[in-house]
Amino acid sequence: MNSQDQLWDVAVVGAGIAGMSAAIFAASKGLSVLHIGNGSGLVFGSGLLDVLAVHPVKDSTVHEDPWHGIELLRKDEPSNPLALVGPKAMEVAVNQIMEALGKAGMPYEPSTTNHFVPTSMGTLKGTFGVPTTMTSGAKAFENKWPTLLIEIRGLREFSAAQMVHTMGDKWPGLRFEKIEFPDSKGVFELYATHLATALETNKTRQAVIDIVRPLIGDAKAVGFPAILGLSESTAVHKAFEDALGVPVFEIPTMPTSVPGLRLKHSFEVAAAAAGVFRRVQSVVTGVKFDNDIATLTLQDATGNQEVQAKAVILATGRFMGRGLFADREKVREPLLDLFVEQPESRENWHSRDFFAKSGHAINRCGLLVDSKWRPTDAFGAVVWPRLYAVGSILARQDWMRQKSGSGLAIGTAWAAVSAMSDDFGSIGGV
Amino acid sequence: MEDTVFNGGFFTTALWIALGVCCLGLLWRLVSWLIIKIGPDAKEVSFLQRLGAAIIGGIKAIFSKRLPGIIGGFVLDSLLQRRLFKVSKKRWLGHMLLFYGCLVLIVMHALHVLLADKLFSDYQATLNPFLLLRNVFGVATLVGVVLMTSGRKKDWGKVRPARLPIDALFGILVVVIVVTGFLLEAQKMSSPKAFNRMAEEYGIDEDEIKGLRWVWKLDYGVAFPDLKGEPDPDLLEEGRGYNEDYCVGCHSKPQHAFVSYPVAKAAGLIATSTDAANVDKGLLYIHIFACFFAIALLPFTRVFHVVADPISLVVRGAASSAPLSKAGRVNRRALAMDACIRCGLCDFDCSVGPIAKWMNNQELLPSRKVQATRLVASRSEIKAGQAERLAVGAHLCTDCGRCTDRCPVGLDLADLWDAGRGDLSSKGFPAPAVWVKEEPAIAWAEALGAELGRVPPAGPLTADRNQFSACVQCQTCTNVCPVVANSGEDRVDLAPQQVMNLLRLGMNDLALGSKMVWDCATCYQCQENCPEGIRVTDIMLELRGAAWRQLGPVRDRRRSI
Repeated sequence: MNSQDQLWDVAVVGAGIAGMSAAIFAASKGLSVLHIGNGSGLVFGSGLLDVLAVHPVKDSTVHEDPWHGIELLRKDEPSNPLALVGPKAMEVAVNQIMEALGKAGMPYEPSTTNHFVPTSMGTLKGTFGVPTTMTSGAKAFENKWPTLLIEIRGLREFSAAQMVHTMGDKWPGLRFEKIEFPDSKGVFELYATHLATALETNKTRQAVIDIVRPLIGDAKAVGFPAILGLSESTAVHKAFEDALGVPVFEIPTMPTSVPGLRLKHSFEVAAAAAGVFRRVQSVVTGVKFDNDIATLTLQDATGNQEVQAKAVILATGRFMGRGLFADREKVREPLLDLFVEQPESRENWHSRDFFAKSGHAINRCGLLVDSKWRPTDAFGAVVWPRLYAVGSILARQDWMRQKSGSGLAIGTAWAAVSAMSDDFGSIGGV
Repeated sequence: MEDTVFNGGFFTTALWIALGVCCLGLLWRLVSWLIIKIGPDAKEVSFLQRLGAAIIGGIKAIFSKRLPGIIGGFVLDSLLQRRLFKVSKKRWLGHMLLFYGCLVLIVMHALHVLLADKLFSDYQATLNPFLLLRNVFGVATLVGVVLMTSGRKKDWGKVRPARLPIDALFGILVVVIVVTGFLLEAQKMSSPKAFNRMAEEYGIDEDEIKGLRWVWKLDYGVAFPDLKGEPDPDLLEEGRGYNEDYCVGCHSKPQHAFVSYPVAKAAGLIATSTDAANVDKGLLYIHIFACFFAIALLPFTRVFHVVADPISLVVRGAASSAPLSKAGRVNRRALAMDACIRCGLCDFDCSVGPIAKWMNNQELLPSRKVQATRLVASRSEIKAGQAERLAVGAHLCTDCGRCTDRCPVGLDLADLWDAGRGDLSSKGFPAPAVWVKEEPAIAWAEALGAELGRVPPAGPLTADRNQFSACVQCQTCTNVCPVVANSGEDRVDLAPQQVMNLLRLGMNDLALGSKMVWDCATCYQCQENCPEGIRVTDIMLELRGAAWRQLGPVRDRRRSI
């Protein structure tokens, strides 16, 4: 099949959580979906799916109930995209993605509230969706189980010593042991993914189990950096629990983490299962609209090609994903030069206090959309009737401080696809 | 008359000499299969081991369960030329006509005393169907030669298998033999002298011969210069009677010799002069000496493949059931030198074949490389320029194995290339991935700096600087890299993200000689996973190309000093 040979119902641009989710939602509604992406920040993910943990950000108030948090947000920031999605749609959307990821090999613990997961920095991260390989960490902390953390010599992105140092006073039974990973003598620096794939072999796994077992002592749980398998994490995690006889949990590490790669892989599997046609290693360099059809110019190693779709979902992210670009004057949207809501001048991008809890104005700049998630100009007029924008490119949110990145991506994708499919129903497209 | 030519001893001596040369040639080539050393492991086996492997291999092949399969393969690939048929119907037809034309002529005509007389109780060269068939197969042979030698450019394209002068000479000999054969037959048909000799042999008296002469003039085309006008009907009738008595038992109507007869009619005009000038004798000498020459030449031409190829096919059959011993493999490589007919079928499917045209380096092509492996293995010193051309071809080979799969004579070409690379490496021409590691990346960068201006420019990378500026050094590429993961203690010098960082800093020279660039397995994991869309793998490959263009000349300059 060639993506140039047909008129697609939807072209989704962007391969982060928002783009992948939008593609999966649209495909499961029976639309034909062309998904275009070149690289993805998915690998920077920790594997945890946040919905909303902090509101208001200026007080750093952490919520155990994300739905209650969104209700509060609706009152305080009615035009925040999370508020526009609303708690009900958000719950449906996030659960649907967690289910799809589970089927694709990355199962999540069924969840109704936020959980507090210990991180490699020794902090607790409030989050909604927790991979099954990490859930015992939250339980161990909650119950203050005597717990053994395993540090691996040469793995720079994880220090169990730091965790014990930081969390020790809140978690007295926490201790750590440093081990030498099998066959790593003389190797200065180890990479998490290499260890993860090595642990998928019986031999290496057994060798690690043999090293760790005598260290357990009175520990009721054992925590590892997130290296328990890459594509076989469920099986590797289970094998460790069976062999060690206590709950075993992974601790999310610094990016690029193994769970980030798992997340990327699982999203790709889920998209394929939903029937999404993916054009990887392609960049959209231009979009032209006429009355009913959008023509997108794709660039890949073979040159330029044009594809056509009846609708376009823009999920290109912020600065890292190059959905937004900041020059010396202002913030621009580079693909379509859409209107970007932003401070009047560069001087106002940041507040004087760099560590201000309320964040900076630049963090909340982005695209404005109408009630159907269509980008508008400064006066509220839509750019094209079936151009939609989802995810972190949207204005009036601060997903990092709100701890709501995944919720923002998945929720807005769900809402935009719902609005779009209603529109398709009315024009008789599907 | 044929029976008489050997009596003089001269022909017999010549025949024995030809056969002697042929046998010595055959022996020399057979022994060479146990002597030629190709591949580094060839030095590890002795002549006796190789002889043993050949004998045991032969016995095993005969008594193996796979014998029916081996014979089946021989019939399809050798006798019926299945693979050639798939490639070119025209060349297949040419090959079949040439081979079977020659074969039948040898059995039926050249060796009729030994074979045809015994196979067919009523064999007579002048009697149908033999009279007709000899013409048919003579023509078949000529058509075969024409089809095989014509339109080579059209059939093979610009890149076509080599043709050696000695093979061309053999082809000319075949044509000469067949053409002189036709001329001899025609001369004899029209020759009154030949008629008189036969009449004498059969003791035909003066009265009988008058009518017979008329019959042979009218029905058989003998050009009697004295017979003019119309014969007396009674005399003709009488002659027909004698013809029935004496001649028809051995002579069919010559019109069936559809080539020679028209020639005979034309030659009839000058029959008396040719008789007088002993043209028949001249033609006979050319015909027979051409045959002898061809016999003597046979082991030294491509035609020797009629011996080597069936053996090669048997070896392939045997090797497919059980792997050959080291000695057996070395023998098989030597056998390949003779079994390869440079037909060029391997070139058709060669994965790097298209590059040969683009690089204008025919030494890349498998059909060329077969003999080159021998050259590299045999000469202690090869010309540097040629060795480099050969090395490029040898190391560009992707080991896809299509040539082995395609070879109509069952050569293990993949093994041959591997052996050839070994020989090239031991003579100082290893793959770039090997010689680059002779020095650390920093030493290469310094050497390149010293030679700058004397080596070709590296050319810009297709990835622009904006791409590298997007690199956030997140290490995803290194994290997913199986080469870094499995390099153990003998670490790659630079991780992929460090190579990208060098490019971001504009220090391309330092990246060229990096082990990482040359150990890259091009699995594309880094490129697939790069969150910033940097074409990491493509860039690694580009760097290799740049290194080959630049560091290769640097190395050559240093070697020559």
